[in-house]
Amino acid sequence: MRVDSTGSVDTVISCQRVSKEFSSKRGTTKVIENISLEVKRNEFVVLFGPGQCGKTTLMNVLSGLDTATSGTVYSLGEKVVRPGAERGVVFQSMALFPWLTVRGNVAYGPKARGFEKSVWIEKSDYYINLVGLKGFEDSYINKLSGGMKQRVGIARAYCNEPEVLFMDEPFSALDAQTRYLMQEEIMRIWSTEKRTIVFITNNIEEAVYVADRIILLTNCPAKIKKEYHIDLPRPRDYTSPEFLSLRDEISKNMDRTL
Amino acid sequence: MRKILQRMAQNSMYAIISIVSFLLLWAIGVQLSDIKIVMPGPWEVIIDFVDSFIHPVGRYTMPVHILYSLMRVVPAYIVGSVVGITLGILMGWYRPINSIFRPIYELIRPIPPIAWIPISIVWFGIGEGSKWFLIFLAAFVPVTLNSISGARSVDPLLIKCGEMLGASKKHMFRTIVLPFSVPYIFSGLQVGLAGSWATVVAAEMIRSTEGVGWIIISSMDTNDVAQSLVGIMGIGIVGFLLATIMRNVEDRLCAWTVREV
Amino acid sequence: MNRKLFLHLLISILSVIAFVGIWHLFTAVLRVVSVNTLPDPMKVFTSFIKKFSNPNPDGATLLQHTAASLQVALTGYFYALIIGIPLGIMMAWNKYIDRFVRPLFDLLKPIPGVAWIPLMIVIFGLGIASKAAVVFFSAVVPCVLNSYTGIKQTKDVHLWVARTFGASHHQKLFTIAIPTALPHILTGVRVALGAAWVAIVAAELLGATRGLGFMIQQSRGIYRTDIIIVGMLAIGICGGILTSILTIISNFLLKGRR
Ligand SMILES: Nc1ncnc2c1ncn2[C@@H]1O[C@H](COP(=O)(O)OP(=O)(O)O)[C@@H](O)[C@H]1O
Ligand SMILES: [Mg+2]
Repeated sequence: MRVDSTGSVDTVISCQRVSKEFSSKRGTTKVIENISLEVKRNEFVVLFGPGQCGKTTLMNVLSGLDTATSGTVYSLGEKVVRPGAERGVVFQSMALFPWLTVRGNVAYGPKARGFEKSVWIEKSDYYINLVGLKGFEDSYINKLSGGMKQRVGIARAYCNEPEVLFMDEPFSALDAQTRYLMQEEIMRIWSTEKRTIVFITNNIEEAVYVADRIILLTNCPAKIKKEYHIDLPRPRDYTSPEFLSLRDEISKNMDRTL
Repeated sequence: MRKILQRMAQNSMYAIISIVSFLLLWAIGVQLSDIKIVMPGPWEVIIDFVDSFIHPVGRYTMPVHILYSLMRVVPAYIVGSVVGITLGILMGWYRPINSIFRPIYELIRPIPPIAWIPISIVWFGIGEGSKWFLIFLAAFVPVTLNSISGARSVDPLLIKCGEMLGASKKHMFRTIVLPFSVPYIFSGLQVGLAGSWATVVAAEMIRSTEGVGWIIISSMDTNDVAQSLVGIMGIGIVGFLLATIMRNVEDRLCAWTVREV
Repeated sequence: MNRKLFLHLLISILSVIAFVGIWHLFTAVLRVVSVNTLPDPMKVFTSFIKKFSNPNPDGATLLQHTAASLQVALTGYFYALIIGIPLGIMMAWNKYIDRFVRPLFDLLKPIPGVAWIPLMIVIFGLGIASKAAVVFFSAVVPCVLNSYTGIKQTKDVHLWVARTFGASHHQKLFTIAIPTALPHILTGVRVALGAAWVAIVAAELLGATRGLGFMIQQSRGIYRTDIIIVGMLAIGICGGILTSILTIISNFLLKGRR
């Protein structure tokens, strides 16, 4: 579908000194503190941190779903102020439209943006196929299993052909077996359709398995603690010594919480 | 499949036993007490009911009375529902519209449609007009209320999702807010339908020359309790059918919801 | 944020003023609508105040009518509660009672309360009892329905836990099923009160010598539309107050749940 222009390493998403506070009657809590980062084209970046550390909040700010208290986010050099079609999101809670079929969900973006029927049919066909849901086009969401639902979520975000895809713990609601399968699937999908992906997880194995680069976040308020470039060849082997030693090292540096 | 059939057969058997013993109790009770002077037994009522389909009660037979009542309910119910859905969704979704209409709606809401009967007769006379007005209110009030709460309950995450996918406000209203509210709207439609039916019965009891409510009230003049019970049977059966039809429509339109048992 | 709230309040106030203004314009100023059809708002207001002390034209003051309606409505309502709630609970808890009673209940459920009036007059005579019986029939249906669905919400796991502690069938009902059902039962109690209030108005419209329904029906005969509207407002206000009292009580009883 979309051809990667030159393979050059330009920046898709960047943010500078972003902080986020939530204020309520009981005072303000700082959830993100002074985060700056850059994501290159077609890079698979993992935001890795303990539960409740502020990962979702950071993703919301980066994708424009929420605004930062201070600092700015740029997408292709332009300031991000609101959500938009060039920044796709796969939600932790899936957030599919239950009144639409698989096709309706996947084609929602292109339809909403006014593409002709032949175009959105073709696009949705391609991505439904890509995530392995061929034959389920006319099923309603409630009839699908957890893994299939998240495939729909991925296809829906992909089908809009965004510049960058944010995935917020997309597999955390799945059982362990399905989770492994989906990790392999996302690597297959990504290698077929190269995209810039910002992937959030609190599972170390998952992080090392999928990432080009892991950004390790501290406990709340989230700061960047350390960055790891993972250049193990793909497909990776969960049990190889290199994999295990990386996994141990990152684990050791991660903040522990209850 | 076999099991389901077996269960159904069993259930209908219990239903028959239950209803037959109720009728027996009624028959024996009437026989044994003084009430038999005014109160007919079940057998008599059932025969009268069947007979009402052949021989007229007052000026018309039962099906014609039912048709008269339905002609009062259906058009006004549809208009009331359409207005209620439109206004309710808009009120639930757009704050300014809510601010404009909320106080007036809240003024009307607690007044039961039945309490409008006297003023509606003053305004629209004793003909069909006043009945349509009452049914309109009986449908409009609950449908609006449920549509408001439907549009209010739209999951904000789904709206964010729509924005993320590049949908305009208008597109999201049509493709997210509206479908999300459909189950809520249907529960309002159910309540409104039952209310409309009860209201038409009351309105016909107070002023009319035909209709199921008239059957009941005219029985008072002739002291014919059997006729009153025949009317009640007709009202109950039509009320039940209306609710069933509505539920089937809902099941069609909301195939995507998982109904809780 | 606060400014927005203020703005909406302002819109609401303006809307009410416009409503009353148009009403006033058509009745008192332009006189396109006759007093016999719709009195002007000022007249309704003064009639409302006067009706508190003036028994004319229908023989009782507003409060006397209200008290008469309340007395009958609450009598029928009371019986509906003490019969309907236990019946609903027993139907849901005991499958024999369910099988026996439910067909009858389903048969009687779609019959509106008003339809019972002539029959009740035959059985109980013209006095309070027949009206209370009509109220009872209207109010008992929501009591049964909601108690029934409430008990059916009981989770099997909770019952299994109770069984492992050796709870008897009775103990399970009172310590698990009824507490689970409480929110539903209270909803039923509230809906039933609304139904009772509607039923008493209907019953009084058809034949009474006291009560708000009687008042508006009498006033129609003599074209006192101001009193009709006063009566309608009183019916609305009273219904509103009754429901709010029950809402407060049930919120208090459900305190601490969610
Ligand atoms: N809208 C909000 N208002 C107040 N506090 C919030 C809000 N959203 C998140 N938080 C707080 O921010 C912290 C981080 O939340 P989140 O970003 O969801 O963590 P993660 O996704 O890493 O599990 C949590 O302690 C949470 O309570
Ligand atoms: Mg999260």
